[in-house]
Amino acid sequence: MSGPRWLVAIALVLSQAPDTSVRFVDVTAKAKIDFAHQSGATPDKYMIETFGSGVAWIDYDNDGFPDLYFVNGAPGSSNALYHNNHDGTFTDVTAHAGVADNGGGKHAYKTGVAVGDFDNDGFLDLFVTGYGGNVLYRNNGDGTFTDVTAKAGLASGPTEWSTSAGFFDFDRDGRLDLFVLNYLDFRFDDNPYCGLRKEGYRMYCHPTQFDGTTDRLFHNNGNGTFTDVSRKAGIANPAGKGLGVTFCDFDRDGNTDIYVANDTVRNFLYHNNGDGTFTDVAYRAGVGFDPNGKPRAGMGTDCADVDGNGYPDLVVTNFSEELDALFLNRGDGMFEEVSDRAGLASSFIPLGFGAKMFDVDNDGDLDIMITNGHVIDNVKLYQPHLAYAQKDLLYENLGGGRFKDVSRESGPALQVDRIGRGLAVADFDNDGNLDVVITSVGQRPVLLRNTGARAGNWIMIRAKGKKSNSFGLGATVTIETSEGRQVREINNVASYLSSNDVRLHVGLGPAKIVQRIEIRWPSGARQVLTNVPVNQILVVEEP
Amino acid sequence: MILAGVLLSGILAGVAAQAPAQERLDRVRADLFARAEHLDEDIRELKQILAADPRSAEAHALLGIAYRAVGTQDVMGESVAEFRQALDLDPHLLPVRLYLARVYIDLGRFARAREELETALTEAPGNPEFLALLGESERQLKNPARAVEILRQALQADESSAQARYYLGLALFDLGQREDAIKELERVVQSSPGVIDPYLALGTVYLDAGRVDAAIQTLGQGVRIDQRRPELHIQLSRAYRTKGLLDKAEAQLALAAPKGAAPGMSAYQYQQVELDLALERGLVKLQRGQLTAAGDAFKKVLAMDPNNEQAARGLAEVNHKKKAGGRQ
Repeated sequence: MSGPRWLVAIALVLSQAPDTSVRFVDVTAKAKIDFAHQSGATPDKYMIETFGSGVAWIDYDNDGFPDLYFVNGAPGSSNALYHNNHDGTFTDVTAHAGVADNGGGKHAYKTGVAVGDFDNDGFLDLFVTGYGGNVLYRNNGDGTFTDVTAKAGLASGPTEWSTSAGFFDFDRDGRLDLFVLNYLDFRFDDNPYCGLRKEGYRMYCHPTQFDGTTDRLFHNNGNGTFTDVSRKAGIANPAGKGLGVTFCDFDRDGNTDIYVANDTVRNFLYHNNGDGTFTDVAYRAGVGFDPNGKPRAGMGTDCADVDGNGYPDLVVTNFSEELDALFLNRGDGMFEEVSDRAGLASSFIPLGFGAKMFDVDNDGDLDIMITNGHVIDNVKLYQPHLAYAQKDLLYENLGGGRFKDVSRESGPALQVDRIGRGLAVADFDNDGNLDVVITSVGQRPVLLRNTGARAGNWIMIRAKGKKSNSFGLGATVTIETSEGRQVREINNVASYLSSNDVRLHVGLGPAKIVQRIEIRWPSGARQVLTNVPVNQILVVEEP
Repeated sequence: MILAGVLLSGILAGVAAQAPAQERLDRVRADLFARAEHLDEDIRELKQILAADPRSAEAHALLGIAYRAVGTQDVMGESVAEFRQALDLDPHLLPVRLYLARVYIDLGRFARAREELETALTEAPGNPEFLALLGESERQLKNPARAVEILRQALQADESSAQARYYLGLALFDLGQREDAIKELERVVQSSPGVIDPYLALGTVYLDAGRVDAAIQTLGQGVRIDQRRPELHIQLSRAYRTKGLLDKAEAQLALAAPKGAAPGMSAYQYQQVELDLALERGLVKLQRGQLTAAGDAFKKVLAMDPNNEQAARGLAEVNHKKKAGGRQ
């Protein structure tokens, strides 16, 4: 059957148009990742069983390919480090590296992970959080790590429940300090019964049953030790029930600020005063509550400039039947929540955890990915319209402050129900497309390879600090191309319990060359590069 | 709950700092203690004050009070959080510690309430309000003898404290000293005729003592003061059933049926009311010989609480009577 010639021509043009859709493919098995999370679930319904755990991208051997570190949960379970073999597969090197972290007592649960080079030796170190003890692993540079927690002065209390954590240089002395979130004042010998007193109906308790605890800020003394400066710095708020943390310079004053997503109490925005202290400006900035002035159950968070005004915005994942929040930074110290208007309405029913803003399709703006999963395993008994396992969400940035839910168009791997928790982003195969790893409670994680949109160019920057910290965390990078200007920060701390690649990835759209790159290092040094070719991993040393 | 907010408002006023926002704080404080219906505006105002001065302990404290006044589950955690922030900024704000203890008691966290009250009593030894709440915390922690001891100390410090006397009545009842409990609760009802909880407690103790007419009279007075409390109707039904007045009992049960959790009632309290209501309905129906309805009610109780002995006995009796050919 033949049709008119013009119809054929249109079809040809359409088939040759750039494919801007992105597809994620589950390559977990192919990559030989066989880690499985153990939640340690019991009939006693200890809250920590709901937590899941984090995951980190860490190029621990500096071979240019990000490796993977999974945190496990239950007491006695082993964390796992997978070496990236550069061919799409990974090898479990946990035993050799000495990072299993399977000691501790019967109530030693592990939760989150942070990555940073605290001793500036050029190798990324690991900090693992948990209930009943955190661990700092120093990277020896030969494929092995040493537990230096006690020597560093980072041992936590026996009932301290740490969650997300991150390295950043808050005082710009060139050494990475450490911020550790703490969740609840929970004790195993005081575990209330919650839910209906009926067989199968016991549920995990609501966080309002417990008190919050203070987060901790540790100053890096530069000699392998840290000092707890939480109170002096003004971040020791006892109300906190922190789950998610991220760092950005929200007012562009050159100092890195802190945003904390709290569960059922308001979120904190700590403005860095530049003198070693912080002021919580959440009330003033409008990022503490929902639009009705009520606290939400904040879980994961990330900051980056999604609307292109040069100031970092915020995304916060929340409980089911609470919208995930998108706060746009107006640049005057105030934020505006635009979640519904921006197109995040489909986040209302799912319970969000890990979240990351990144350029999934290399079109030059930041998209949002969120993994979901309820905390109450028997939630259907109470709310039949909700489910324990849920699908991930991917929002494409349409520009103009608008997003579109493209989860269904992004491949069958995003159509799978999981009890999502940790989410971390890196281009593990260095093909220019950012890939994603997601952890699930009591299940295997998934490694989602981004098969890419054909339209976009990209550049990736691996910063090497000299006066600044060795990976340039906290640097502000301004990229200018024919398509416009993007202001980004080198920050691997975002999502939930997880840590992202330390390299800065920037999608460039159709731009053939980067006309100008300006890096403002944490030390204050400014560096400008011009006419930089696209589609490359650029190593930049601090002048 | 018997509140003593007026006294506290005076104490809070005394700790106010000389901040530029002082006038606004004074206005909100007056509004909160006048129980004015402006909670949303008060909360908004306090947040604005905190936006300008995040380290205002008084603003945090008043915000905690405002959230507690809202009373819903979703802001009770925020109430605790605000009180704790206030105390972190100024650990000597004793009234805030009292408020915090009250919220802990509302949340059923009696050990934490005890900690706060014991800390407060080190700074204000013998304070009758702190002692009264500490006594109640001890009672809830199943230490009724210790509770009685503390509550008697509270009454020594302030013989007119209806709150301490009420808790003493409950503690004596828990200790099995029923007649002493009745005496104390009767005094509370006489001294605080507008407060509901003592009527409920006294009526329940009368019933337990077999003084059914006194129970009906007391619970009836309570219902006349506040018809919205399902617990009163359920106890009154129990009293009527005991006297064989089954129509009146069923009428009370109809009034007790909750239309969902009342304001300030947690999901668990609501569940308890539903359970008590179903149990009482089962017992009334059983007494009427309506075995199917009685059986359904007992099954509902057992679905909520499989270990409920009274319901299990009731259901066994229903089954036995059915087998013996009892009418439906």
